[in-house]
Amino acid sequence: MTENACGKIGSGAGKSLAELPVGAKATILNVMPRSRGRKKFADVGIVPGTELHVEAHAPFGGLIRVRVMGCSMALHRDDAAEIMMREVRHA
Amino acid sequence: MRKNFRIALAGNPNCGKTCIFNALTGARQHVGNYPGVTVESKSGKFMLEDIEIELIDLPGVYSLSSSSPEEGVVFQELTKPGIDLIVNVVDSTIPRRSLYLTTQLAELHIPMLLTFNMADDAKKKGLQFDLPKLEKYFGSPIVQTVATSSSGVKPLLATLKTTLGTLDDHGVPMLSYGADIDDAINAVAEKIEALNVTRYAHIPARFFAIKLLERDSSALKIAEFSPVYSEVEAQIKHLWDKHAIEADTFMADRRYAMLAGACRDAISSTLEKRREISDRIDAVMTNKFLGLPLFFLIMFLTFLFSFTVAEPLMGCIEDFFGWLGDAVGDVWSADRAPLLRDLVIRGVIDGVGGVLVFLPQILLLFFAIAVLEESGYMARAAFVMDGIMRKFGLQGKSFVPLVLGFGCNVPAIMATRTIESERDRRITIMVLPLMSCSARLPIHSLIIGAFFAAYTTAGKASMFVLIYLIGVAFALVAAQFMKSSLFKGEGEVYLMELPPYRMPTLKSLMLHMWDRGRMYLHKAGTIILVTSVLLYICNNYPEKKTFSQDYDAKIAAVEANAKLDNEAKEAAVSELENTRQAEALEYTVSGRVGKFLEPVFKPLGFDWKVVTAAIGGLAAKEVFVSQMGILYSEGEADEESEPLRTKLAKVYTPLQGFCIMLFCLLSIPCLATLAIIKRELNSWVAAIGEGAGLFLLAYLVTLIVYQAGKALDIGTRLLG
Repeated sequence: MTENACGKIGSGAGKSLAELPVGAKATILNVMPRSRGRKKFADVGIVPGTELHVEAHAPFGGLIRVRVMGCSMALHRDDAAEIMMREVRHA
Repeated sequence: MRKNFRIALAGNPNCGKTCIFNALTGARQHVGNYPGVTVESKSGKFMLEDIEIELIDLPGVYSLSSSSPEEGVVFQELTKPGIDLIVNVVDSTIPRRSLYLTTQLAELHIPMLLTFNMADDAKKKGLQFDLPKLEKYFGSPIVQTVATSSSGVKPLLATLKTTLGTLDDHGVPMLSYGADIDDAINAVAEKIEALNVTRYAHIPARFFAIKLLERDSSALKIAEFSPVYSEVEAQIKHLWDKHAIEADTFMADRRYAMLAGACRDAISSTLEKRREISDRIDAVMTNKFLGLPLFFLIMFLTFLFSFTVAEPLMGCIEDFFGWLGDAVGDVWSADRAPLLRDLVIRGVIDGVGGVLVFLPQILLLFFAIAVLEESGYMARAAFVMDGIMRKFGLQGKSFVPLVLGFGCNVPAIMATRTIESERDRRITIMVLPLMSCSARLPIHSLIIGAFFAAYTTAGKASMFVLIYLIGVAFALVAAQFMKSSLFKGEGEVYLMELPPYRMPTLKSLMLHMWDRGRMYLHKAGTIILVTSVLLYICNNYPEKKTFSQDYDAKIAAVEANAKLDNEAKEAAVSELENTRQAEALEYTVSGRVGKFLEPVFKPLGFDWKVVTAAIGGLAAKEVFVSQMGILYSEGEADEESEPLRTKLAKVYTPLQGFCIMLFCLLSIPCLATLAIIKRELNSWVAAIGEGAGLFLLAYLVTLIVYQAGKALDIGTRLLG
């Protein structure tokens, strides 16, 4: 899948966390300034440079479970779409 | 040395803080509420040799950022004077994330003791700590503990003793945010110092400078600091212009960077093991396809457990209250204060006893739910249910309280505190009374037993399921409606930790169960007690002295009639006594109120007897059954009493029976529920609105069902 094909992001800025498949590992590039959860996410370690591991997607969409700094955290897909990733590695 | 100290226990959620608190204080706990917010406050006292220690268990938080009511509370408590020591509990299996809070606590310059908890798991995981180095870094002594066993907490007590002896020369943390930001912090700190705010003289200005630069809402609420806002904004702008550093997250960025450095120096990791088992369980439990079926299975087993195990215990309690009533009746002779004697035996003992019978079921349900919570499964349940709940305007975390609601609405409403989003929490509370609680179960059994007796067991069971589902369906529709009308707008950002599975300790399970069971006991001891007494009085007074016919004479005539055999005599006498009792009842307050309101409820198919029972049921739903029993002169009727069922089947149609169930299901379960709604939403308007709204809903739905049923001629024939 090319970046342009994923709709939400243009110009090859990277993928958002919401677009990563289960099992993928990637490093956070940045959290969009418009994201409402910016500060809350920062407090649990979701800051640029941290590595995330997508562990699971909940049934019926909605939640995404990621491993961050050794902890499993569940966050909503809409918020995950505001977290930009780089160096995506698939499991 | 001083003989008493105040110690605050701080740490992340799921770090084992509560385990440590329970191990130290045991049962000597005081649970309350922080004023103005729905955050539980917990404190306890214990003796450390000859020193008395007051321990305050602060709510679990990730940061001091005031992005939740809990964080606001921790900020308030820690900036108040009078805390001698902070014991910071750190989950040492995830040092980087856990120490993030520590960096902020260290800035308060309150003496601190770091407790590296779950040391055994950290060791298994291959983590090695250079403790002297870390102690120097945070300027605080460090002790390793294993909070799940009581011996694992012993090292903490020893270190606590030495730390309390040397409070005056505690270390200073070596935390630097980097030259650019430190310049900004120092500039703001200088201005703050110049203000001389006496209220916060015990906290370094640097702490507030950092918080103000983060635009922390708790710090911004402190009016004394408003003169430095211009300096703060200037510094934020400067940082952005010169270094492209963004205000709201740069502190978090830098703190994690500091910790990354410290961890590199002082913590080494050899293998990643601890989560392996937990992850393997989760591969099944939160599987996209298996997750939901497994969840429903676990819920089913939870209910099965609490209902089957409770059965014999409930029998024991029933027997006990039966015995108690007889015993009091024997000791208290009928000629001494007979009115009070009747009130105690038939009002208080029967009324409260009838409610306490459900205690085992409720305690066991809470025990089972505590197992699910403490083991970490509840977070998974919220995760797999979130998608479905969201379609109805709720969310994953709403699910647990809704399930608790099947037990008792009161603790269920308290359990909504885990929902961070205020809007989702409000909606969950408002729809929760529609969950058919165990107090409504006796009504369902009575009605289904009376009117659907001809059905097979499976048929009757499906009637039960149907009535529960009607409640759930109305709850979901109401939630959807409220989300799209009353509580529009975006909710909180959803963020939930799924901690590794843990084996719960019996002690914490018991404490958990007791905490919630207490609420139910409290309800029985207050509202139910008062209502039982009131209803008893309303059902018996004013007393009718002159009757339309001379019953005594008629009974005597029957007894004297030689033509009748004994059986026929008995039947005739009881018939006469019932008629007399019914006549007496119509004369009482209950009868009069019921008669007065009868026209209002006539379109629902209710006669005055049902109306009085329903009014009693507003206080507590259990009362409905006992009131119907009294009205149909069965004395102490419970749901198993066959004669009451037979009588009801003779007087009411199946449609009326169904409407009674429907009305009781949808109207407010009890006064205690309204009281807890008032407390949790902190608004009388919300509580009264809830009561009125549910009444209206119950009235309208029942009206429609009864009128439609009558028009279509469904279930309108008497069975008896």
